[in-house]
Amino acid sequence: MALLAIAVLLGASPAAALDGTEILKKVDANLQPESFESYRKLIDVQPSGARREYLLWTLKKGDDRIASLFLEPASEKGRATLRLGDNMWLYIPGVGKPIRITSLQSVTGSVFNNADIMRLDYHVEYDVRTVEEQGGAYFLDLRAKTTTVAYDHLKMWVDRKTVLPTRIECYAATGLLIKTLYFKEPKPFDDGRLRPAILETDSPLYKGYRSYMVYARIKKRVVPDEVFTLDFLPRLETMR
Amino acid sequence: MRVAPGAAAALLLWALLVPAGAIRAQGTDEIRLEDIEKEIARTVERPYRLGGFLEFQPTLFGFDRDAAFYRLQFFDEDEGATAAQYDLRLRLEGSYRKGIFSLFARADALTTQGDLDSESRIDLLEGFGSLKPIPGLALDVGKKVVKWGKGYAWNPVAFVDRPKNPEDPELALEGFYLLVAEAIRSFDGPLKTAAFTAVALPVDRDVNEEFGETDHLNVAAKLYALLFDTDLDVMVFTGGSRTTRFGVDFARNILTNFEVHGEWALITDFEQAPINERGQAKRRVADVMSYLVGIRYLTERETTFIVEYYHNGTGFTGGQMEDFFRFVEAGDATFRSTGNPTGIRRAITLAEGAYGRPNPMRSYLYARASQKEPFDILYFTPALTTIVNVEDQSFVVIPELTYSPVTNLELRFRAAALVGERRAEYGEKQNDYRLELRVRYYF
Repeated sequence: MALLAIAVLLGASPAAALDGTEILKKVDANLQPESFESYRKLIDVQPSGARREYLLWTLKKGDDRIASLFLEPASEKGRATLRLGDNMWLYIPGVGKPIRITSLQSVTGSVFNNADIMRLDYHVEYDVRTVEEQGGAYFLDLRAKTTTVAYDHLKMWVDRKTVLPTRIECYAATGLLIKTLYFKEPKPFDDGRLRPAILETDSPLYKGYRSYMVYARIKKRVVPDEVFTLDFLPRLETMR
Repeated sequence: MRVAPGAAAALLLWALLVPAGAIRAQGTDEIRLEDIEKEIARTVERPYRLGGFLEFQPTLFGFDRDAAFYRLQFFDEDEGATAAQYDLRLRLEGSYRKGIFSLFARADALTTQGDLDSESRIDLLEGFGSLKPIPGLALDVGKKVVKWGKGYAWNPVAFVDRPKNPEDPELALEGFYLLVAEAIRSFDGPLKTAAFTAVALPVDRDVNEEFGETDHLNVAAKLYALLFDTDLDVMVFTGGSRTTRFGVDFARNILTNFEVHGEWALITDFEQAPINERGQAKRRVADVMSYLVGIRYLTERETTFIVEYYHNGTGFTGGQMEDFFRFVEAGDATFRSTGNPTGIRRAITLAEGAYGRPNPMRSYLYARASQKEPFDILYFTPALTTIVNVEDQSFVVIPELTYSPVTNLELRFRAAALVGERRAEYGEKQNDYRLELRVRYYF
């Protein structure tokens, strides 16, 4: 009888009704369409207040294809990055073939690394280990599906009304907090959906430094798969 | 554009809650979405792009006046122990797009003033037109660098490119006049991408004459695959300006921070005419192999290591190179004692060919370590590079400091120390050391 009562109680509890994977997929859908183009500004702010800004144009298709082109500043203009699943490359005009780069380094030198700049949907790279309600938020504990993912685990707080993340803590396998991401300023984009316009990050590893990723445009767009190839990278600008 | 009622409400809420203009994110950093929108609109509306950099580079050369290449360069004069050189370079790059057509050009205007040389010239590095009817198909015509190979310092499979300078491999190269056709297909599954590139490279007295024997139409082809997360290329070159050659290369990340790459080339009927110490050439024709294996490794502290081993099958052995140096010594001694320049002039001619290439021997090791932003100095990267001639144990060491104090301004200071015994490659180079500062402003 007691066991039955416990079972009924568990079945009726809100936590049991939560499907973490579904919430995570909704988070992904609310953050960005499955296939899109976007313009972003990366802003790095030093402790002194000095800033450095980069303007990027990005194409994403499906689960695992992302290509980005640097439009500003002049010193970075024409640089392009490509991600196909776990593979990442950087193309520097005039230098040579695109070189393979790693997810933890940063092509800009900012707190954002390559995995942040060329981020795949969270549900593609992470499994939900636990999910719970914390006031007006869902709390998701996420584990990387493979060792090739940049962060070993994430702690994600999701606003229950908008199903948008408000904060994500990114950890290394050792338990070290690498950085915290803050999602801010929800804004209606071209498809009418409300999405955070600003992604802010700080890191205990870079005390006093802050970086912002500001989304100015996100538009659904589906381009051929061939755009996301190494040989196409030098021609990426022709797709703008 | 149709907007859903929910979105319209959100838009209204947005307009009410967010004052036009700035958003203040955490801290006091001001982010103006309006300004960013305007900046983006400007870039979207332009069908053309124009940019480049202005560069000033003073260099101090410290001569090794006993070295073979110093004597070859200055056999009838004495330039002293050092020489200064000042280079001013304007690089312009531009592109224009209209529909499926596009044009691209990259050119340098260079003025050199110095103790040894003064010259001004304009070089067209690349200039080509492109036709891209669909993303998976492209045709380029004009002067172009095709960039084959995965190596950082050397590319033995770059059959239709000029060789890189291994001491500064990121310098832009000059292309050849080519016709390039490229087809790309993407797939699901272990084979993610396949691409085929075909190149036609004509050589006659006025076009690409420095490539090789004139009056030939050369062709090359490359098949690329991204298979099981590994970049793979197979390439072939044939024609008549150079002998037929085959190549393969690969690159793969075996960890998120560890990349391996390699190249292998078979050069058929390669002709070499090494001289003995009396200057008598012995012609030899054989199939030779060149190959390269390398790694790129990023540590947790953001130190990047690049290490490559290069076997140059077209290079000279240690003994052959020593014979050349003995021949230079003999020619120089004859000139000094009798005034007869015949021997030294012949050596100069040889040095303008295979003996004077950047890495003329068979076996080299390249290692570079660079540290991103040490001591919390932002946009500062120190690096140390060395190239070792494995056969004769001579080497060059290049410490380097790169700093970008403000956006678009880059400062680079480099020194190079060349170390080696007599009759060893780096011991016989013209310089003992070199100091250079490069100030580059991008626009």
